[in-house]
This record gives sequence, C-alpha cells and structure tokens, in this order.
Amino acid sequence: MLWLLFFPALVSAHNVTVFAWVDGDTIHTQSKFSGGKRVKNAPILVYDFKDVLLLEGKTDENGMFSFKIPKKTALKIVLKASMGHLAVWKLRAEELDEAESKTAAEPTGMKAPLETKSGSVDIQEKSESSGPTKISLERQEIEKIINASLDKKLAPITEILADSIQRGPGFTEIMGGIGYIFGLVGVALYFANRKRKTDD
Amino acid sequence: MHISEGVLSPAVLIGGAALAAAGVAVGTKNLEQKEISTIGILSAAFFVASLIHVPAGPVSVHLILNGLVGLILGWKAFPAILVGLSLQALLFQFGGMTTLGVNTLNMALPAVFCYYIFRNGLKPGTGRSVIIFSAFGAGFCSVLMSGIMVGFSLYFTGEAFLPAAKLIVAAHLPVMFIEGILTAACVLFLRKVRPELLEEANVPKQST
Repeated sequence: MLWLLFFPALVSAHNVTVFAWVDGDTIHTQSKFSGGKRVKNAPILVYDFKDVLLLEGKTDENGMFSFKIPKKTALKIVLKASMGHLAVWKLRAEELDEAESKTAAEPTGMKAPLETKSGSVDIQEKSESSGPTKISLERQEIEKIINASLDKKLAPITEILADSIQRGPGFTEIMGGIGYIFGLVGVALYFANRKRKTDD
Repeated sequence: MHISEGVLSPAVLIGGAALAAAGVAVGTKNLEQKEISTIGILSAAFFVASLIHVPAGPVSVHLILNGLVGLILGWKAFPAILVGLSLQALLFQFGGMTTLGVNTLNMALPAVFCYYIFRNGLKPGTGRSVIIFSAFGAGFCSVLMSGIMVGFSLYFTGEAFLPAAKLIVAAHLPVMFIEGILTAACVLFLRKVRPELLEEANVPKQST
C-alpha cells in the first residue's frame, strides 16, 4: 500500500459533488465523493455568470474551501477532482444579496460587540445617548444580532442539507435500476420472439 | 472510472460515442433469444457492482466487473455495459449522459479485448489452475486497460497523459486484484453450476 502515499489527492472513481453556502461575507464549499469521502486537495474554481474566472483555491483535508465573496452576482463553483471528475454548484444572486445587506451595515461604524456583551445591554447603552438617528442604528444592531444568531442556529441545518444533497444512491435507485434492466430484457425477448414467429 | 460531464472536449465525446455505437451494433447483431437474458443478468451485475466500494487507504474506488462481463459475453459486453452505464448515469449521477459513449467505450472495449486474450483458457477440458489464471487475468487486465483508456480520453482533451493515467491505474490497483479474484471465483462457480454459460462464449456462433 506504499504507493498510496504518493497520491494524496487521490480519489474515488465515480461521482463527486460540491455544495456551497453563504455565511456572512464568506462562502463555504464542501466537496465529497458519493459514499461520503471528502475530496482533498482538489482545485476549486469560482466563475461569475459570464464564465469569467474570479478566483481559485484548493480544498483542505476535510474537503472544505472558504473564500470571501468576490463579486455580488450569481456564482458558479466548479470542483475539479482528478481522473475526469467534475462537479458544479450554482449560487443564486439572492443568496449573496442577503450577505450584502449584512456587510453593508458594517461601514456605519456600529460594531456590535456580540461576543463580549449580550445584545440587550448593548442596545440599552445606545438608547441612553439617544438622538434622532439612533433609532435606525438600533435597528441595524438588532438586525445584526438576529443575523448572527440565525447563522449560528442554521449552521447545523446547512450541514444536514449538505449531507443530504451529497448522499449516495439509496435502495430505491438500486432496485429501480435492476427493475429497468429486467424490463428491458423482457422487451428484447418479446421482440426476439416475435421475429422468430414471423420467420417460421 | 466514470468521466463526468463537462470534462472532455466535444471531439472526444463524439468520437467515443461513434465507436461505442459501432461496438453496440456488433454486439447486438444476430442476437439469440437465450443470450438476451444472459446479457440482462450481467448488465444488472455490472450496474450494481459500481456501488461496492473498495476502501483502500485514502482512496475509495468501486468495482467495475467489466472483465467478467467481457469474458462471458464477448462483443455483447457493449450493449450490456451501455445499459448499465445509462442507468448509473440516470439514477446514481455517475458519469453523465453526454459522456455515455466514451464511458461505454472505455469499459467495454477492454472487456472485449480480454475476451479474445483469455477465452482460450476457459475452454472445456482445461485444468483448474489455467482457468483460475485466465479469469484472474481477465478481471485484472480489463480494469487496467480501462484506466489507460480513461487516461487517453483525458489526454485527447488536453491533459498530460502520463500523470493522469498513472493516477488512475494506481488508484485502481486494489480494484484490479479484487476483480481478478472475483472473476476467478465467478467463473469457477459458473463452471460448476452453469457450464453452458461459459461454453457459449467459446463456441463460435452457428448461423441459424
């Protein structure tokens, strides 16, 4: 098995999938072979909808690759595993718009100290030094807090989604395929039989 | 071994499809009724084999079984493998519809080659060790040749041939051994249970 060491980027022989989701201003991608094995050290290319290459990178040991949103358009993420394998995931522009509104809130200078203080305390402080503009800022703060906690809460769901998308074929598909083959045999036999009868 | 869509150039796709179609035409010429069911069973075996993963270190590859298919079916391996691959593409998303021709060619042509190389070893009356050797050789070489052909497919599209082919062959080394053993076991079993299945392959077809 020594030769295996020389091919770290090696891979399985059939199907690869790449799944991408937006988290804040970053896009995470997860690459897997059917069967659940992660795609390691495989190049990932990111295109916009006009097929212009925006950036490229490589998946890590867990098949993950993350990058900052390069452009606010629909993105096409292409995974190139070796041995003629390729997978594409498309991110719609709306998914990135969500992220845009979040990042756009940042330049106003209102950094929500989410990690250190609880959100409610923070908002209270702000309202003490109140002014007419504060109401909108508070709204932004609240939005940020909600977004952050939503991201945190949705993270496991996103992962479950990624897993379910990348699951291998199930019992239904296998049985369906075998059924198809037997059905084709039946059809072929029918025609063969008919031909023989007309020959007689 | 399944090449995905969007990897190969149109020329390779069309060329592969044309050659695969020719192979299927040869394979389906003068089909006899009893051969149809044999093709169906082997096609089903080929279809399911791709789901059996061979875990070997960091790689996970799956069985192909084209050696066994070729040894029993000869040129009829083309239609059998085409059906199996179509269903794998439709139901499992292995490969794809546009690469169907190339993939069929890559897996069926080595099967046919192995049929011509190793079928003499399966003739009735040959010793047990010869049969085991021939069947193992068919299972082993068909995967090896398929790997080389995938390398060529990528090469014609512009990838460097040697690294691609080396990678594929290296990844499939465990599969080659397992397929060799499996093919040998299957042939021995068939010889005991249904020897006529193997003899069919060796008796030149009588025109009816």
